[in-house]
Amino acid sequence: MARSVSKGPFVDGYLLKKADAARASGRRDVIKIWSRRSTIIPQFVGLTFGVYNGRKHIPVLVSEDMVGHKFGEFSPTRTYYGHGSDKKVKRK
Amino acid sequence: MMAGPGEHQVSDLICVGIVTSAVGVKGEVRIKTFTDDPMAFGNYGPVQDEAGARIFEINGLRIAKKGIVARLSGVKDRDEAEALCGTELFVARALLPKAEEDEFYHADLIGMRVNNMDGEPIGQVSALYDFGAGDLLEIDHKATGKRVLIPFTLESVPTIDVETGCVVIDPPDGTFPEPKSS
Repeated sequence: MARSVSKGPFVDGYLLKKADAARASGRRDVIKIWSRRSTIIPQFVGLTFGVYNGRKHIPVLVSEDMVGHKFGEFSPTRTYYGHGSDKKVKRK
Repeated sequence: MMAGPGEHQVSDLICVGIVTSAVGVKGEVRIKTFTDDPMAFGNYGPVQDEAGARIFEINGLRIAKKGIVARLSGVKDRDEAEALCGTELFVARALLPKAEEDEFYHADLIGMRVNNMDGEPIGQVSALYDFGAGDLLEIDHKATGKRVLIPFTLESVPTIDVETGCVVIDPPDGTFPEPKSS
């Protein structure tokens, strides 16, 4: 069952404080977080979070498309990374 | 030509799949593909084993459970197909289509030297991942022996020189752990 809209999205309180501090400092650093359950809200767009996967912090650069998803979705906890012998990458 | 210590050399061969089992009695084999799209296995012409001793034309290809099923030239019955189980199949790196501008093959990037903005060596590229939030570059950090991930963006990875095999990075603050003092 989906979460009631009247409650608003769930975000751990400390995340908002850390995000505000990072924005205020203007520094380009990774914000280490352990809250995989928190929803990505528009205030986080453009910031880089290090989302803990049980072993290490995976950098997650938040974009507009990710709003509404949970942080944990972008930091897998299992070690299968797939194959890609002919895979290509492009810098954004 | 052999690469010297610390020198980057792009491998001539790229593994595109491995034969996992025989299928049926007509010599078809099941292949676990390592290509981005499984059916792209047949796009690069004949495949060969690691030593180059056997070259197989791909005479038929279809998608199946747990990979693809292929009909390879010179494999006529089940016994010959079973003998191929575990064989890794390769294509020449040169057969991959040319990458577009500012586009890089994983195979080219893996193994490249990594320097910081001051030109000091940091380590080398060990892998590339995409967990849904953009591509990530994994670096073997020489000083700590740990593997570190950085976003594969123009800001964090401003320079990539495939010719010299060197990547220059400007990672976000606090990315690399401090080396432990003894």
